[in-house]
Amino acid sequence: MTGRPSLRWSQWVIGAYLLLFFAYLFGPLLIMAVTAFNSSSFPRVSPWECLTFEWFVRLVEDQRLMQGLSNSLIIAFGVVVLSVAIGLAGALFLTQIAARSRAGTYTVFISPILMPGVVLGIATVLFWDRVAGSIGMAYGGLFYDGIFLTVLGQSCFIASYCLLVFLARLQRFDSQLIDAALDLGATNTQAFRRILLPFLKPAIGGAAVIAFLASFENYNTTVFTISFYNTFTVEVAQKVRLGIDPTISALAVIVIAISLVAALANEAAQSHQQRRLAGHGRGLVAFFTHNPAAVLAALAVGMIVVVLAFAVQHDPAACKARALEQRLERQQQYQPATPSPVAPAPSTPVAPGARDLNPGQGSFGDVFRGGLAPGSAPAPAPAPAPAPDTRSLNPGQGMFGDVFRGGLAPGTTPAPDSPEGDGEE
Amino acid sequence: MTKRSWLGAFLDRNGLALGLYILFAVSFWLLFLIILPQLAMIDFSLRHDLPAAQQGGPLDVWTFENYRHFIFGLPGNPDGWNRLDVGVFGRTIVAAAFVTILNFAICYPVAYYLAQVAQGRQARVMAVALVVPYWVNEILRAFAFRIIFGATGVINSTLQALGIIDLPIDFIRADIALYAGLGYAYVLLMVFPLYNAIESLDRNQIEAARDLGAPWWRIHTRIVLPFAKPGITSGCTMVFMLAAGALAAPQILGGPSNLWFTQLIYGQFFESVNWPRGAAYAIILLVACTLLVLLVMRLFKVRLGEIGK
Repeated sequence: MTGRPSLRWSQWVIGAYLLLFFAYLFGPLLIMAVTAFNSSSFPRVSPWECLTFEWFVRLVEDQRLMQGLSNSLIIAFGVVVLSVAIGLAGALFLTQIAARSRAGTYTVFISPILMPGVVLGIATVLFWDRVAGSIGMAYGGLFYDGIFLTVLGQSCFIASYCLLVFLARLQRFDSQLIDAALDLGATNTQAFRRILLPFLKPAIGGAAVIAFLASFENYNTTVFTISFYNTFTVEVAQKVRLGIDPTISALAVIVIAISLVAALANEAAQSHQQRRLAGHGRGLVAFFTHNPAAVLAALAVGMIVVVLAFAVQHDPAACKARALEQRLERQQQYQPATPSPVAPAPSTPVAPGARDLNPGQGSFGDVFRGGLAPGSAPAPAPAPAPAPDTRSLNPGQGMFGDVFRGGLAPGTTPAPDSPEGDGEE
Repeated sequence: MTKRSWLGAFLDRNGLALGLYILFAVSFWLLFLIILPQLAMIDFSLRHDLPAAQQGGPLDVWTFENYRHFIFGLPGNPDGWNRLDVGVFGRTIVAAAFVTILNFAICYPVAYYLAQVAQGRQARVMAVALVVPYWVNEILRAFAFRIIFGATGVINSTLQALGIIDLPIDFIRADIALYAGLGYAYVLLMVFPLYNAIESLDRNQIEAARDLGAPWWRIHTRIVLPFAKPGITSGCTMVFMLAAGALAAPQILGGPSNLWFTQLIYGQFFESVNWPRGAAYAIILLVACTLLVLLVMRLFKVRLGEIGK
């Protein structure tokens, strides 16, 4: 029998493949998360400089990002209300129309999911611009308002997501329950409120969560409809396009931590419920026994608390000074021909530029660039602000762009007491 | 049944309040969020780019100028056709198709494993592991690839440390970062339709084929793939449409000389501020993608109504 060994062999292949697949899924997130703790001002894992938490501080201090966050929450609230209401109505409508027109209607209802987000955003802006023009609304009125337009533009396709959630739930609904209620003398509204709505409650919750997440992270539609406002995601995209720095990684760490804890908590709650249905005990102890997800969730929360406590008293200043010294030493060693002494670095912005023309000098390159960057810290100018504009015209300028950014941006960052963090925007 | 009696029956069945809510919400959605905006976009795309003062004036007439420009470029263009825009468009479509096929190849084994092999807790953990990365913002995911594929990123520094290469490879210019990032972005959208389709396949069919001596690849080509066709079409359609319409990933990961078509549209709106032409380009993208998807569906004999299920 040749079947057995070949099966064993194929299991190995599948195992390796799954491992690779999940490495592809989580590797990038992991690497990004690690860069948030490296004091190097270009997000990187190696060379490792110092453990630092300053990127988190700078993230919270970013006024525009926080403004965007509050706009995002307002928009998400509007989108959740509107799309859940529309999705529910659409689902109820679909279950009631004649079977022959159902397929066509269904196609129309889910078509917004398939339309490119940019198309939806553009169509929304143009339509309301037309409406405002035809009723003579002055520029600045409601129909030109970025938040109003964004809520409508996003709801157009997010309502379709909600519709799918409701349809899935309604498939399991026994419509005889409604008939029974009506026979027993309930009005239509009563039957809906007392029977159908409670049955749909989990779906309403699920649809609301999906709508919130979809709204919060939407970029393609929002970037067209938002006009002069900013949402969190649009602001993050702006930052990433203008120049990448580890505050974005710090943001990712927060998002990943929240997602992880939420996923584990959800898994724990589900598994607990299953065990309770199977007749196992309730209470806190019962919640954690035989429930690895609950234990992991608790561990994750505990770890976050420990890291926070550690972060509060961790001071990387000494380490950074040492790292700077080492780098300068090495720099002198490898670049003896530099005309002026490099040690008091502020006067050497020439060097990073020169390096840019020759990005391929291998690992030394990193050493040099890193060495110069912190040196420019004392410079009072809030450097990143003016430069990005020219770059934004050419977001994909490739490796030179990265290198250059990596070299310059740090200028504002390393000194923990530097005020530029706030002054940038 | 006449329309009026249908409406009456509908309101009777649901009660006035609920019935009106359903009708109002659905018609608001269809009219004000889906149909009228699309019509407005078509109208815009057929107009000249006029300053505000002349809009509605005698010069404000319908024209195919914006579509003509997409194909032929400016008048007096020596090439005879709009090499830049059509080129970008063609590249985008081909690249999106490539990303879709790549994504299918990557996800099919995983979906099959999840649907037919994994069981109980393992399947649940796998499903959660698939979903969690999608709670992380699209922008942040693209950013992660930027870190990895940068000139001093993890891959380049590892390869250099191992002595495999001397100079860093420019993954961004070669668009490798973009393809990897786009493929990554839509893994979930590919896995779950595939999973849904394969999961409903009766395991006995696979066992029977195996007992009859079919090699593993024939089990897939003869049984699993044909059975999962609606799921495959559904996943591929979604990935293709989203990849062709992606904006953030190309903006962040795209090479300097290689624009995505959505970036051209973005440029028409925010850089040249030519809304009619931007609208025309958006319609070209929408129509071309839709036609292509319908064509592929016709080829594989799948109906549109099966998508998203």
